[in-house]
Amino acid sequence: MPKLTKDNLEAYAKKAAAHKVKDVIRVGMSTCGIAAGAEEVYEVLKNEVRQRNLGIEIQKCGCSGKCYAEPLVEVIVKDLPAVVYGKVDKTFALAIVDRHVINGELLNDHIFDVQEANGDEK
Amino acid sequence: MKVILLKDTDGKDREGLFHDKVLDALQKEGISDKWKLVRVVDIGIYNRGVALKILPAGFTYTDLTEEDIPGIVRKSIKEGKEIKEKISSVKDKQVKIVLRNCGVIDPENIESYLETGGYQGLKKVLFEYKPEESIEELKISGLRGRGGGGFPLWMKWNFARKTRSDEKYVICNGDEGDPGAYMDRSVLEGDPHSVLEGMLVAGYLVGAQKGYFYIRAEYPLAISRVQKAVDDAQEYGLLGNNILGSDFSFSIEIRLGAGAFVCGEETALIASIEGKRGYPSPRPPYPSVKGLWGRPTVINNVETLANVPVIFTKGGKWFSKIGSPTSKGTKVFALTGKIKNSGLVEVPMGITLREIIYDIGGGMLNSYDIKAVQTGGPSGGVISKEHLDTPVDYENLQKLGSIMGSGGMIVIDESDCMVDLAKFYMNFCVDESCGKCAPCRIGTTQMLEYLDSISKGKASQEDIAKLKKIATAVKKASLCGLGQTAPNPVLSTLRYFEEEYLEHIRDKKCRAGKCKELLEYTIIQEKCRRCSLCFRNCPVSAISGNNKEGFVIDNEKCIKCGNCFEVCKFEAISRG
Repeated sequence: MPKLTKDNLEAYAKKAAAHKVKDVIRVGMSTCGIAAGAEEVYEVLKNEVRQRNLGIEIQKCGCSGKCYAEPLVEVIVKDLPAVVYGKVDKTFALAIVDRHVINGELLNDHIFDVQEANGDEK
Repeated sequence: MKVILLKDTDGKDREGLFHDKVLDALQKEGISDKWKLVRVVDIGIYNRGVALKILPAGFTYTDLTEEDIPGIVRKSIKEGKEIKEKISSVKDKQVKIVLRNCGVIDPENIESYLETGGYQGLKKVLFEYKPEESIEELKISGLRGRGGGGFPLWMKWNFARKTRSDEKYVICNGDEGDPGAYMDRSVLEGDPHSVLEGMLVAGYLVGAQKGYFYIRAEYPLAISRVQKAVDDAQEYGLLGNNILGSDFSFSIEIRLGAGAFVCGEETALIASIEGKRGYPSPRPPYPSVKGLWGRPTVINNVETLANVPVIFTKGGKWFSKIGSPTSKGTKVFALTGKIKNSGLVEVPMGITLREIIYDIGGGMLNSYDIKAVQTGGPSGGVISKEHLDTPVDYENLQKLGSIMGSGGMIVIDESDCMVDLAKFYMNFCVDESCGKCAPCRIGTTQMLEYLDSISKGKASQEDIAKLKKIATAVKKASLCGLGQTAPNPVLSTLRYFEEEYLEHIRDKKCRAGKCKELLEYTIIQEKCRRCSLCFRNCPVSAISGNNKEGFVIDNEKCIKCGNCFEVCKFEAISRG
């Protein structure tokens, strides 16, 4: 890895400004999330996505503050708002892949936060 | 995609009728295929009846009745117009600066931080501003230390900058020890690079080339993520020699705290890094003049440093617009205790405790009323419920006898005993007092003894006066922050809840039922159905009798565990 310079860093800034959101599933993996079982959820999601060849990235992230609802899983897919599911377990993680990622459904009684719509339709 | 969120915010619509009603209305209008309706668990609004939020338009309606639905579906959902008189005024009260990246970026991937504009603040400081201008920017921002003291950051850095020395140091204080507080852990685990960037800026501005990350050993995940961040930064040329091609060089080493609370105090922390016993030393000289190895040292809390990059990317002026007149920016609180949504909240300074508890925290956990809020951990105090509307900032909390502290916020309800609470914190301070100075070493132990005798109903009224006297002495005469603030929980509970102390002494009663020695369990024979549940659950066989003649509790044998009280289905056991 060559060392970053001032100009490289500017390229990152431009990339940040363009702000292209890609499809991603984020799993909260701070101590609070891990204590609630996030590691298992992360593995299940990773396997499922690999097996089905869905090409969606599974990303670890920190704690967003809603510790009471851990493990938290944020799902950002095209044409749907960014949705944060809380108290996710193994079975529900599969439901997220099945119904939210593939069928584009939103799942009742598990959503703890919804961010503004993502994608082109606004 | 268009989405309708539905939430019954006070739990009255148990059968979920509203969901079906909205669905019906959508079908009637013939638009059910274009909209997704979903029941959510949390919509950010509490105790406002049925709430409905329409995305992407962002209209939010609360306190809805069934009659409102057809109108809203037609006008607001189908035609996209807002219905002004019904729109909710509830806004999200959190402002995320320190936690901006927590839960968003991958903390183990430096690219992830760079792509959200990471290290741009450092770039500005290195190439665009003169150091004096950078300090000026910090001055404009009004950022004060978030570790508890609230000292203006620019002043601290300027002292270190102006002191001449062959070497200078930057220390990040990640020795978060307050019971119930974990803001720093979350930042280190969720966004370690922002703290690193803050340290680099500090290093450049004061002229230091070496930094220490002091993290407590109890945070293994935070340590491994910070280590990864340091290694990555090294690889990317953000640490080491000639950072980003400038003439600034800086390196960072991680040091682990071994679990002593006093090492969160800056002079003790410095001693600990030097390899000495974690004893505090008198100030002045302050570390910014004479710190680590006798050299000028800037020592800042995790949260303070995480604020720094944002001040340079968005400007000090932008930062100073958030918050109250004397306290700028935001504060992260670890909201715990008897609250529904326990977790981390980041709020602008000047917000009231009531807003934090009811609008963000979702209100009380159980049916009990709120009694008080404890802030600042063992160095802080309680704030009674009469003061919930006070704007939260450094000065106001101090006036109320508590402190901002590092940001623990524990909500206390009527089932908690204030003497018991004071005892808990005093126990903590006795354990953690390093023993170097007599007022703290002896004073805290004596205070604990008095509190203990009060909680056992063995104290006299004069003991309260003695307790106050010792507390004041410890406060005045202790060497470091630990001792100077250790009496705060006692003094503040006495200030607001002296009556509760007196009840323990005079009436030998603990109204919350927490002080075991004052409790007596008896069976109310009229209510007892002779089910023998208490008899079977007593761990020490203090209950005797049989199904025919009934049961009695032998108070000589009783250990006051409360098992019988918990298991009785007929409320036939009295406690008091």
